[in-house]
Amino acid sequence: MRRGVVSSEQFTGWAFVTPAAVIIGLFGAAPIVWSLVMSFQENNLLSPSTPFVGTANYRKLAHDPVVAQAIQHTLVYTVLFVPGTMAVGLFLAVAMNRKIRFISLYRTAAYATIAISTISEAIVFLWLFDPSYGVVNYFLSWFGVPPQQFLNSPSQALYVIVIMTIWGWTGFAVVIYLAALQGVPQHLTEAAAIDGAGPWQAFRRVTLPLLSPATLFLAVWLTINALQLFDEVYLSTQGGPLNATTVLVYYLYTQAFQQFNFGYASAIAYFLFVVIIVITVIQFRVGRRFTYYRS
Amino acid sequence: MAAFSKAYLAGLLAVLTGAAVLAGCGTDSTSSGGGGGAQTIQIWEGYTAAEAKAFSHLVSEYEAQHPGQKVSPLFVNNDNTLQKVLTAVRGGSPPDIAYLYGSWAPNVAQIPQVANLTQVVQRPGVNWNDFWTGERAVATVNGKVIGIPAVVDNLAVVYNKTLFAKAGLQPPGPDWTWQEFMADAKKLTNPAIKQFGTAYVTPGTEDTVWHWEPLLWEAGGQLLTPDNKKAAFDSAAGLASLNTLRTMAVTDKSMYLDPSDSTYSNLFNSGKIGMLVTGPWDLSAFPNVKYGVQVMPAYPGTSGGHQTISGPDNWVIFNNSPARVAAAEQFLLWLTAPAQVKYWAVQTGNLPSRQSVGDSAAVTQQMNAALPGVGAFIANLANVKQARPQISQYPKISTILGNMVVSVLLGKSQPQAALTAAAQQVDQALAAG
Repeated sequence: MRRGVVSSEQFTGWAFVTPAAVIIGLFGAAPIVWSLVMSFQENNLLSPSTPFVGTANYRKLAHDPVVAQAIQHTLVYTVLFVPGTMAVGLFLAVAMNRKIRFISLYRTAAYATIAISTISEAIVFLWLFDPSYGVVNYFLSWFGVPPQQFLNSPSQALYVIVIMTIWGWTGFAVVIYLAALQGVPQHLTEAAAIDGAGPWQAFRRVTLPLLSPATLFLAVWLTINALQLFDEVYLSTQGGPLNATTVLVYYLYTQAFQQFNFGYASAIAYFLFVVIIVITVIQFRVGRRFTYYRS
Repeated sequence: MAAFSKAYLAGLLAVLTGAAVLAGCGTDSTSSGGGGGAQTIQIWEGYTAAEAKAFSHLVSEYEAQHPGQKVSPLFVNNDNTLQKVLTAVRGGSPPDIAYLYGSWAPNVAQIPQVANLTQVVQRPGVNWNDFWTGERAVATVNGKVIGIPAVVDNLAVVYNKTLFAKAGLQPPGPDWTWQEFMADAKKLTNPAIKQFGTAYVTPGTEDTVWHWEPLLWEAGGQLLTPDNKKAAFDSAAGLASLNTLRTMAVTDKSMYLDPSDSTYSNLFNSGKIGMLVTGPWDLSAFPNVKYGVQVMPAYPGTSGGHQTISGPDNWVIFNNSPARVAAAEQFLLWLTAPAQVKYWAVQTGNLPSRQSVGDSAAVTQQMNAALPGVGAFIANLANVKQARPQISQYPKISTILGNMVVSVLLGKSQPQAALTAAAQQVDQALAAG
């Protein structure tokens, strides 16, 4: 009798999740498996002939100079973008975590960066950083800096993309940090003040450790997104000039949809997948030692 | 950017695709009767605004003239059509007709479901040779016709008349040379007011490459050997063409370099750029400028003369059943017949895809009245003497050439060194097959 109830409850549960599970399986899991198969094929999706080539795509990846460049660009970008976004986000969140006039306005303004579509963001930054007409070069000229080429310069373009995406993600980091800051109990900071801690010490020794779960979350989340950078590159430089902003996902895209090398593109995707897993696991392992969870 | 909205969109897309798949199954089972009777054909196109209006007018006219025939258009962004077609082909339900970029043609020809139109275009009344040379070249892969021309365009020089007058320059004439173009560009450049003589798009994509290819041809050069087996652009002509670009971009600094492919048209419309090498699609973006249109300059002393490049696109038919292929052929031949081509050109400002329509003074006059300068682009179609190589390796070659041109424009390579390096890479790409 009792067993019957349990299994009918189980049945109801399964009935509820089945439609979602089928859709996820069909449109999520199946392509993932299929692209793994494709990464061992020579496949252009056009002709029906898709010969298995073993690990040839993965071996090609190891010897492709553009892949080496793309890995380098992706890593440089990630190393700058993730801490940059977190620092800017934390600074703004702390600045806005107080009762001042128009605070809602400031908070909305900070969050607006995430509501603005990437294409508008890219167009604005194209003009800001235009070598001839851009405001940035105009400001730099006040300090006697000669006009920079920015997106026309292979040595600067990636850094412009870093600035562009930090701006775009700031709203996200602010919201996470602001929520975490609201969870910091006032009595702890007050106790620290009574014990003789200055504002900086209280922030450094009390607030910052209490923010560590948010910091870990942001580090993992931003890193995963940084390794998958695509939109801003596609919209502003298309990987140029001279491959200077070609990151892994953008290169994957050109291989798949411009050169019709779907097998090779799948191999790049799986390589990136493994890289992301490894980095995420490391982040969680290392992060656990520095993260303080209040129970 | 917004990760949440992306995930949400992906989910929404999945659900919608599911619905579309189900819907697709439905239509398949009902319309598979075939056999000369009523047919519904599905057509994927990327028309918006005036084009969308004119297209739906043509479709309803066709349906009225051909009882029993139904045409069901579906809007697809042209950039994504091939991706979607590939998915649909794999799923067994491709559209009957799709609008596909000409640069995809050699790869599209590999899809087994693509209908062979070689015999179709030779039918009486089609008058295949009435389509421009450049169009027919792009619709044909290894002697097999895989598409009917859907659009044709070309590159010419659009110049700002006011800036020319201010600089005390004569407007360019039909016999002008690249020497004159460079000299004009230099005189039109004024760093104090941030005014440039000309502009070039430098994302390194095919857009970068096809602006350079006519220079190579005009200088008397060729991209590849006639058998398409080796690079042929590492030549005196190749060097002349890259030197022209280098002089303006590096030496004279008379060329605005646009890495995004999107800012140059705003700058021209703001009177900041004197001359642009561009196509008829840009003209409507220049309402604030009094502009003129002239053919591309020539290199005197070469056999090349004045040339240009055309980027035609194709209507491609996919085989869902013999009856639906027949219905699709019937619709396309009607759509691209002179009367409809004329209507389309006058309504939308697209260049006429047939020479007989382009030669009509009345059509040119009507089009020029709507959009000044279009007539010059129609006349310039006669200067389309060559096409890009119709080979499946072209996308790979294009990437190499894009980097070559950009490296010269940015002053990172000398023209000869860039040519040598690119030719070597192209040879490798061609040998790899």
